[in-house]
Amino acid sequence: MRIALTGNPNSGKTTMYNALTGRNEKVGNWAGVTVEKKEHHIKKAYCSGTEDLIAVDLPGAYSMSPFTSEESITSSYVKHEHPDAIINIVDATNLSRSLFFTTQLLELGIPVVVALNKSDINAKKQTVIDVASLSAKLGCPVVETVSTAAEGLKAVVDAAVAQSGKIQRAPYVQGDIDLTDKKVVEEADRKRFAFVNSLVSQVEKRKVLTKNKGTGDAIDAVLTNKFLGIPIFAVVMFLVFQISQVWVGPLIADTLVAWIETFQGYVGEVLLADANPLLTALLADGIIGGVGAVVGFLPLVMIMYFLIALLEDCGYMSRVSVVLDPIFKKVGLSGKSVIPFVIGTGCAIPGVMASRTIRNERERRATAMLTPFMPCGAKIPVIALFAGAFFDDAGWVSFLMYFTGIVLIFLGALLVNKIAGYKNRKSFFIIELPEYKVPSLWFAFKAMCARGWAYIVKAATIILLCNTAVQIMQTFNWSFQVAETADSSILASIAHPFAYLLVPIVGVLSWQLAAAAVTGFIAKENVVGTLAVCFVGLENLIDTDALEMMEGAGAEVAGVIAITKVAALAYLMFNLYTPPCFAAIGAMNSEMKSAKWLWGGIGLQLGTGYTVGFLVYQIGTLITTGSIGAGFVPGLIAVIVFAAILVWLCLKADKDLKQEYALNGARA
Amino acid sequence: MTLLDALDGQEYIIKQINTDDEELNAFLFSLGCYVGEPVTVVSHLKGGCVVSIKDGRYNIDNQLASAVEI
Repeated sequence: MRIALTGNPNSGKTTMYNALTGRNEKVGNWAGVTVEKKEHHIKKAYCSGTEDLIAVDLPGAYSMSPFTSEESITSSYVKHEHPDAIINIVDATNLSRSLFFTTQLLELGIPVVVALNKSDINAKKQTVIDVASLSAKLGCPVVETVSTAAEGLKAVVDAAVAQSGKIQRAPYVQGDIDLTDKKVVEEADRKRFAFVNSLVSQVEKRKVLTKNKGTGDAIDAVLTNKFLGIPIFAVVMFLVFQISQVWVGPLIADTLVAWIETFQGYVGEVLLADANPLLTALLADGIIGGVGAVVGFLPLVMIMYFLIALLEDCGYMSRVSVVLDPIFKKVGLSGKSVIPFVIGTGCAIPGVMASRTIRNERERRATAMLTPFMPCGAKIPVIALFAGAFFDDAGWVSFLMYFTGIVLIFLGALLVNKIAGYKNRKSFFIIELPEYKVPSLWFAFKAMCARGWAYIVKAATIILLCNTAVQIMQTFNWSFQVAETADSSILASIAHPFAYLLVPIVGVLSWQLAAAAVTGFIAKENVVGTLAVCFVGLENLIDTDALEMMEGAGAEVAGVIAITKVAALAYLMFNLYTPPCFAAIGAMNSEMKSAKWLWGGIGLQLGTGYTVGFLVYQIGTLITTGSIGAGFVPGLIAVIVFAAILVWLCLKADKDLKQEYALNGARA
Repeated sequence: MTLLDALDGQEYIIKQINTDDEELNAFLFSLGCYVGEPVTVVSHLKGGCVVSIKDGRYNIDNQLASAVEI
């Protein structure tokens, strides 16, 4: 039988779902973490009978009438898919709001079990709820639970199983009303709330009133302070990057890299000592070398995931939205846009999906379009490789990449505003401020492992495949004989045309760099893997020393790629700010729901990446050598064309807007 | 007066909500923010204020605060 988990946002549905099924879905302490339906078998430990139970996790909703698109998933699921039972997770700290939705669910006829969640917080606040009386008044079983500690789950599931097949009797019936008449509906809803209010007053006794200031408000006063709010956020994010990429991450990465190197040496020299040299090259250099180069950066990525999970769990994300809303509003985004951007530093795909909770369509699309500018976890290896090879592991490289990402988001937002025709329209902002809680190290650890595992799986599948293909393509020529030099290989001939496009950014005609940029669209880690495979002699250096370039090894890597430092920086930025991997583009597509916006977004990202790369290389070269770099004129033409398109789009939007206002004027 | 002028910590009764946005009104309703219900401003911030509606805390911007008459 199928059991649907429903309830208000941030009431703990996904936490309960994870505990029931053993899954590891994303949880967080803000409203709107879950934006899609998920289902999985419930663990045997929670099932008494032999019947197979399936839990269905749904996005949070405040009522059956949907406000945002993810809420409509919930109401249409319980209305049309006929689950066998509903577990309604009720935030026990906010009974007076939650029961509104509960009474609506009870009217559906499907058996409902109320899980009175967060009952531990109530105990702390000395709020007492008369469970037996509540159960009698609602006409359904009520079970106290703490989903973060997996308490009361068996009782809830047992109750749901026991109820199945029965027909739910509703304590409050709306009756036959004309649902198209706004006034009538509102009147009915008022009555419903009145019923809930009287019910709550009978079963709940509170010592601490919510309207009075508490410790949470004292913390809010600091974190959302007029002057301190933004600096605090900047320091928090800086610490996340500093800890994961400078202080702790590299220490662990060094050990891991040493293991991979030993393994690679063992395979190359011992296992395949007498094997065909081609096979040795494919296995040791292509597969282990390329994939190893990517896996070596895993610790940096995992520590960052861990820290971001802590941030998400403590309740800070909503406060950041509050702090940044006034600024984001100025560039036409919403304060809620910050959540996708922060999640995007881990991976752009969930980041883009998180934009779904933004109700204003233009703000939502702009957020989905701009989220990939934030360097994601897959780009960390690329940044670390270049920082190690060319800049002596300088911390400023990584910092500059994130900072540029933020600047591009703001500039991009302004552009989108101009082009999409920002009318000074009212866009109200409201966000729930959840109670703070001490972040759970265990949850953060689980989140880190899940994401780390996904990273390894990706390295072992897509990246392994790509590297093998790259290795084979650069070993053979078109007549499938071993190419005498890599320059006559299949890969070289395919990548060659793209290399011309990159000349204004890197200053040399390098098919290897072009191939890496192209494979980067499949997955950004491929940039590292492909470079490791392509540059003869480079792969060993990347593996052993990319993080801690000792005794001039860094200079050696740079020598193999044979581009200047300025060009390296430009090439790095080009790779970071061009369109993200295909998977992220797919996510953009599903959130934007408009081909026009999608192509606009990809065009903007392509143009931005190219322009940034061009400017950094040409201006940097001018400063360092006194003359402009190679390929200046064709590059300039490309950038001018891009700029011209933007200007044309802006002017067109202006004209359209004026026409619209003129029409409005005529009507008035 | 609107929520913008509300004193911190004092409970007011909502008299009217003027957002010109039916969906938003319905959403506010489902939170328990509708005419006749009590609302308390916990604190005023730069771009908005923190309000307590029923047993929840929300941050709303000044635009929305000015749309709620008390």
